[in-house]
Amino acid sequence: MNHIAVTIPVVLAVSVILFKLLYSRKDSSQLPRERDAPTIHERAMIDDVLPAPKHFRYFRQIRQALSPSDAEYLLRTAPKSVAKQALRERRAVARGFLKGLHEDFSNLSKLGRVIASLSPEISNRQEAERLNLTVKFQFLYAFVWMRLYTGNLPVEQIGRLTDVVSRLSARMDEAMAEISTQSVRNMAETLGG
Amino acid sequence: MNLLENILSWSTLTFLLILCGFVSVRKLYQFLPVFSIYCGILLLGTIAVWSAYVICGINSQISYYAYWCSILLNASARSLAIVELCRYGLRAYNGIWALIWRILAILSIFLLAHAVVDAWGQPSRLAIYGMTIDRDLAFASIVVVAALLLLRNYYGIVLEPLQRAVSLGICIICAVDAIGNTILRNLFTGYLYSWYLATQQALWPQMDSQVHYVRDLWSTIHLLFFMLSMGVWCFSLRHPLAARRAKPVLLPSEIYRELSPAINIRLASFNTRMVELLKP
Repeated sequence: MNHIAVTIPVVLAVSVILFKLLYSRKDSSQLPRERDAPTIHERAMIDDVLPAPKHFRYFRQIRQALSPSDAEYLLRTAPKSVAKQALRERRAVARGFLKGLHEDFSNLSKLGRVIASLSPEISNRQEAERLNLTVKFQFLYAFVWMRLYTGNLPVEQIGRLTDVVSRLSARMDEAMAEISTQSVRNMAETLGG
Repeated sequence: MNLLENILSWSTLTFLLILCGFVSVRKLYQFLPVFSIYCGILLLGTIAVWSAYVICGINSQISYYAYWCSILLNASARSLAIVELCRYGLRAYNGIWALIWRILAILSIFLLAHAVVDAWGQPSRLAIYGMTIDRDLAFASIVVVAALLLLRNYYGIVLEPLQRAVSLGICIICAVDAIGNTILRNLFTGYLYSWYLATQQALWPQMDSQVHYVRDLWSTIHLLFFMLSMGVWCFSLRHPLAARRAKPVLLPSEIYRELSPAINIRLASFNTRMVELLKP
């Protein structure tokens, strides 16, 4: 009966995944029609699908809100119950912030995949590396989120990530500009030639 | 054939005729030629098996061979239809297609080799051979379609509604085949194997009613899901098909060469900082 015990759950599980892949998409459903559009629209399409990182805009405020000095001030001046409530809310803010970082990471990763799909040749090594990094990030994110949720991670440490995201957003803007410029040049050459 | 077998045969044939009608009217062969041939093979196979049942009797040797040959032919045609499904719409994306077809080819070779090895060791009976190969091909089909969808999903190249319906229909058929054949194969090769020995022949007439009951049950389940798949295909073909999409305009390869490593470095630095975050 080993075959039955293995095959049936595997087939059912794969079928559920298939059904989910077929009918519960949210992100990629926006991609294909625009992707077939002329190159001049690539910039607009990528902008639509990959919104620029937005969470970094609030990093300073969040860093300030999560700073130890703020917490100390709160514990010193506010009543105990209010301070506790505020600290709980700080953790909630940190979790929301982490979620935002996850979104920004996903957008950058998605940018890589969109570029790969529109490229006439790709490197298997680069693709494998990106997949590996994405999987690794998902695990790390889950781990950090759990530690934050259980109170094992000081919220101040979250602030360390801000620099990375700021640089990341700048690079994304550069990437968009490069794609746009290259696309326009490419189309001009195609029309001219 | 009893009443249930007649009802099931007529319903299947009706569904197949409607499906082939839609394939012809909508000119599906211009978009998915192999899948259209697969639909034709399903219809012809069903007619051939049914004719064998009516002319020679459902328990005859000819019906037995006709049934199992049609099963293997259907499984082969379905596999080719899946190959076409993999190719359709992805080939225009030269870069990722070169990667995806290699992944799918390796996966398919591995699964087909497993099917051959699995069937090789079976007792020498067409039913058990057929069932094992059909089961393994069905399983391979589900895995290959799942891999295809995962890769398409990963690169954000969504399936068109028609392709989606074709995939769903194939997956329903394959899932039911894989599960049903696994159960039957285990019964035939294990618990029930001794019943096929010559020494047990005297007991066969006593088992007749139970054999018929199980056969009716399996046929009903199998054909109901088969008709469900055809219903899904017919439903997706109810409207005229949209024109074939224009080929996507690809970016110059320098963009990938320059940006991809830069993006990966950024992603890696992000991970490094996440690891730092976890350090005490």
